[in-house]
Amino acid sequence: MLVNDPEAAHWPVDPARLDLVEEFRRKPRGPHGDELQKLLHRMRWSGVGNRHVLIVIEPNRRWMLGRLPGRRGAPVETFPNRIFTSLAEAEWAVFVMRWEALTGQRIQDAERGPA
Amino acid sequence: MTDTNSVLGYAWPLVVSPGEEVTFHLSSAALASAEATLLRVRCADPDPDGPGLRFHQPGTSIDGPVALRNQPLRPGSCAIVPDGPALSRTGSLSLGLFLFPTAPGAGEQTILSRWRADTQAGWRLALTADAKLQFTVGAGGRVWRATASRPVIEREWIFVAAGLDAAAGSMSVSQTSLDPQAGRDTGCSSTTDGPRDPTWPGDTALVIAAHALEAGPSPRTAGHLDGKIDRPRLLAAAPDPAALRALSENLSPHPADPALIAAWDFSCDIPTGTVRDLSANRLDGTLRQMPMRAATGANWDGRTVHWTEAPELYGAIHFHSDDMHDAGWTPDLRFTVPETWRSGFYALRLRARQESEDPVESFVSFFVRAPLGKPRAELAFVASTATFLAYANSALRLDQVHAEAMLEGLIALSRDDVYLQEHRELGLSTYDTHSDGSGWCYSTAKRPILNMRPRGATLNYGNDTHIIDWLENAGQAYDIIVDDDIHRHGAQALAPYRCVITGSHPEYFSRTMIEAFDSYQRGGGRHMYLGGNGFYWRIGWHPTEPHAMEIRRGMNGLRTWEGEPGENALSFTGEPSGLWRANGRPPQRLVGVGFDAQVFTRSYPYAWREPARDPRVAWAVEGIDLDTPLGNFGLRGGGAAGLEVDRVEPTLGSPPHLLWLATADRLDYGGVPTLEELRTLHRGTMGDQNARVRADIAFFPTAQGGAVFSTGSIAWACALSHNGYDNTVSRLTGNVLRRFLDPAPFEGFDA
Repeated sequence: MLVNDPEAAHWPVDPARLDLVEEFRRKPRGPHGDELQKLLHRMRWSGVGNRHVLIVIEPNRRWMLGRLPGRRGAPVETFPNRIFTSLAEAEWAVFVMRWEALTGQRIQDAERGPA
Repeated sequence: MTDTNSVLGYAWPLVVSPGEEVTFHLSSAALASAEATLLRVRCADPDPDGPGLRFHQPGTSIDGPVALRNQPLRPGSCAIVPDGPALSRTGSLSLGLFLFPTAPGAGEQTILSRWRADTQAGWRLALTADAKLQFTVGAGGRVWRATASRPVIEREWIFVAAGLDAAAGSMSVSQTSLDPQAGRDTGCSSTTDGPRDPTWPGDTALVIAAHALEAGPSPRTAGHLDGKIDRPRLLAAAPDPAALRALSENLSPHPADPALIAAWDFSCDIPTGTVRDLSANRLDGTLRQMPMRAATGANWDGRTVHWTEAPELYGAIHFHSDDMHDAGWTPDLRFTVPETWRSGFYALRLRARQESEDPVESFVSFFVRAPLGKPRAELAFVASTATFLAYANSALRLDQVHAEAMLEGLIALSRDDVYLQEHRELGLSTYDTHSDGSGWCYSTAKRPILNMRPRGATLNYGNDTHIIDWLENAGQAYDIIVDDDIHRHGAQALAPYRCVITGSHPEYFSRTMIEAFDSYQRGGGRHMYLGGNGFYWRIGWHPTEPHAMEIRRGMNGLRTWEGEPGENALSFTGEPSGLWRANGRPPQRLVGVGFDAQVFTRSYPYAWREPARDPRVAWAVEGIDLDTPLGNFGLRGGGAAGLEVDRVEPTLGSPPHLLWLATADRLDYGGVPTLEELRTLHRGTMGDQNARVRADIAFFPTAQGGAVFSTGSIAWACALSHNGYDNTVSRLTGNVLRRFLDPAPFEGFDA
């Protein structure tokens, strides 16, 4: 059987590379440079910390943060207090959580979102 | 936030002609009633940046309140053999079969039974929750069990023998590994006390791969198995593993053997829902929920990969505990489509709680076809029902690790996706895997399909309605014809039309469907292919069940699961499956372009090429500035070229007369080539370095005044509505349509 391994992405994340954080913050939806592409792949392949997703509240206008349970048939976890009105804002919010999960370090001024 | 699933349903049949009846099978666990309204769909995509939801409301007798009830779904496949005197014989009983468990340890699973769960009476061979074989006998209010000492191994064939020695008062179960080395030998046997001469329950069905919850010839079932069963045998004799093994190895057991109760041969009648008993008792059974047939048996040795060449190697059926192909719901509404109605995409809208913060608006789709041979327009638009079914209830973004990386961004789930995550009993799509990890190869329409309806996921159904809305906006008359009918009636379904449009993603084609288009094009038909990744997979349709399709993905192509070795021919037809490219009909041969890449980072405009200035296609580009990029706008990624894209390739059949009008060949790093585009692996194959990752627009004339125009991009359809339909993508499409409806032949191409 051909299966995908969620642990297979192993590009080493360097917590000192805050330049990549800034690059993402400037342009959450890309295009991105080579190294930021690798960082995003590392984050997206495994969905670090159980995969965060968006739940569409209003088509193409409002989204709520959610998290997949990692098991078929179990409900999607929802975060009704975390509503986004742009995909860039949502990408940044999830990036912030994944950066901390991967590096153990918080992004200091995370509340300053993408322009 | 609109609740799109508190009431769900399906229409049957999925496709009706004017004058025919359609029934609506509805269910709601939460609502006592809803307001029903029948609608013809113009645009099914609620995106406020596009046309938005648009319907025509004809006004019908069923518009109004409809009472709702909860109709459960009962997934899990099995075979049911109604009771017969031979099954109630007193005395000893034994059974043998080959077993290939695919989810051992995932709960109790029954393999073969004549057992009533409500009275705990009869006999049953099962896997326990800790993956051990167990033979159970229940009689006179008492239950006996023999349990194997070792668990089975996932995806390893074993031979299983079990039974009751009624004279000795003992029972046993044993397993023998077919590959007993390198740690794979789980062979063991276990014997315990059992009843002497028990009385078996009456009126109890024999069930293969599950057990009955109740008496009667058609019981509800439980304990569904994940795995393959091959050559099950039932004998009126005390268990003798060697004799049972010989009986199962024997492909043609002697029917007159008086001890032989049943010997099922699943290699008989593979395309059907019947399982045949070779014994003199003729204990044939009926399959429920369409388990996978044409599965390799324990004796499959690779000498062929086509079940039709050696069906005796395909005596297994792969049962799944989550198979779902017929919801079996009772109809709640019936409607006879008036003779005067236009063909179209139709839907029953169900609304409730309109004043609340969580209003319900759910749709049940169906299609009204233009009757065969009775066109009402010169143009037909094809409802890609094969593709809609292939994607029906796709859980790809929920289950597959690669989805977020592939889609280049956070996964945005609709309310339907959230519902599907919790409600797998709806049955998934051919993009998904069963709970045991095996690929889902069948899809049917006798169940609610969440992503083939207004407000549903936009891919395919929703995107295609952008073309319908474009036609409506232009005041263009059109008929709707459907894949099912193109398969059934072949070229006859297309022939009445001057021009036929296939939509944003006509991906799945049977051989008959491909040949219908080929014949249509050769006979002077004009074909506009306004999509990408079309004419890609080879499928089959069930020979008798309507609206049931099959795909075997094989080992090539852009596939979300890989077919198992030897299991890549269609059980419905015996034909090969896989890519049309691997079956001698690359899409380029039919429509000039063929799938080459995905691009989900964003979509792109096309650049015009020199052939666009060829006077022979001046009609196409009239009013369009060829020095300006084409389609730097659109609802999918901001461009007309994106999502999945196709390219011209002469070596795959793009014809010599083809004019390659435009290309989007700068798809950057997000342009990822499909697997079959790569000979060997090397870096530099993405769109930022590889000009073969691109979308191409092409035109070519065909015989007898026919022609083909292809846009090679799924995103095309969703660029049509930009700026109130006043844009170059819309203009080019309109120019081509106008010319394609003009019977004048295309001049200037040598014969």
